[in-house]
Amino acid sequence: MFLSDLLDEKCVQVGVEARDWRDAVRKSFSPLVESGAVSEAYVADAVAGVEKYGPYYVVCPHVALPHARPESGARRMAMGACILSLPVSFGARENDPVRYLFPLSATEADGHLEVLARLVDLLSEERFLSSMDGAQAPVEVVEMIRDMERSL
Amino acid sequence: MSQKFRALVCCRAGMGSSAMLKIKCDQVISEEGYPIETSQGNLDALMGFDGDLVITMSDLAEELIEDGNHKYVAGIRNIVDKKEIKEALEAFLASKSE
Repeated sequence: MFLSDLLDEKCVQVGVEARDWRDAVRKSFSPLVESGAVSEAYVADAVAGVEKYGPYYVVCPHVALPHARPESGARRMAMGACILSLPVSFGARENDPVRYLFPLSATEADGHLEVLARLVDLLSEERFLSSMDGAQAPVEVVEMIRDMERSL
Repeated sequence: MSQKFRALVCCRAGMGSSAMLKIKCDQVISEEGYPIETSQGNLDALMGFDGDLVITMSDLAEELIEDGNHKYVAGIRNIVDKKEIKEALEAFLASKSE
């Protein structure tokens, strides 16, 4: 499965304004809550996890993959993308500030591993994040990701 | 068959960050031919883990070290940085050959 197959355009947001990292995480998840992929409790757990353990889902410079424990309310596998208009700090040192969020709903099944492998490959490409910057609309983000992951 | 070190790649949820980190670690281990095999889990899996090495995001790594985790803990800051992962794994292997 390609990342672009999982990424629902309705869960992609560009030019999002966030006050701080909590606001960014909540806003990144709001389409997934609306679509029923995750519960409000799942989002709360994603915020609480960072408060307790530090920014464990800020995975590389400028990129966060917000997620929580599946049992806190992941109903089905889903991923979104959220590009902030201005980056926020997660207290993640060299990986701060964060501008690109990929909210993830991972259930117990291993079905998401292939998609995460695709995301790892994309993030390993230097041109990936700058290509995200060029996207003006959600559909462009999905198309850019589709083109790039098929070229890898 | 030479001895392989067993590593647990973990994050808090055991789903996202650790899965991505395991994917990149496995790429590095395979390319470099390190004698390390990885499994993936959450903090609960860590409690029952009796292997040699814990690989996790650096913030969680600091927490584990502070908590007095007795296993070797390697913290990774940038999970797509092969060089960082390579250095961390080599430091672990060096500690085992002392």
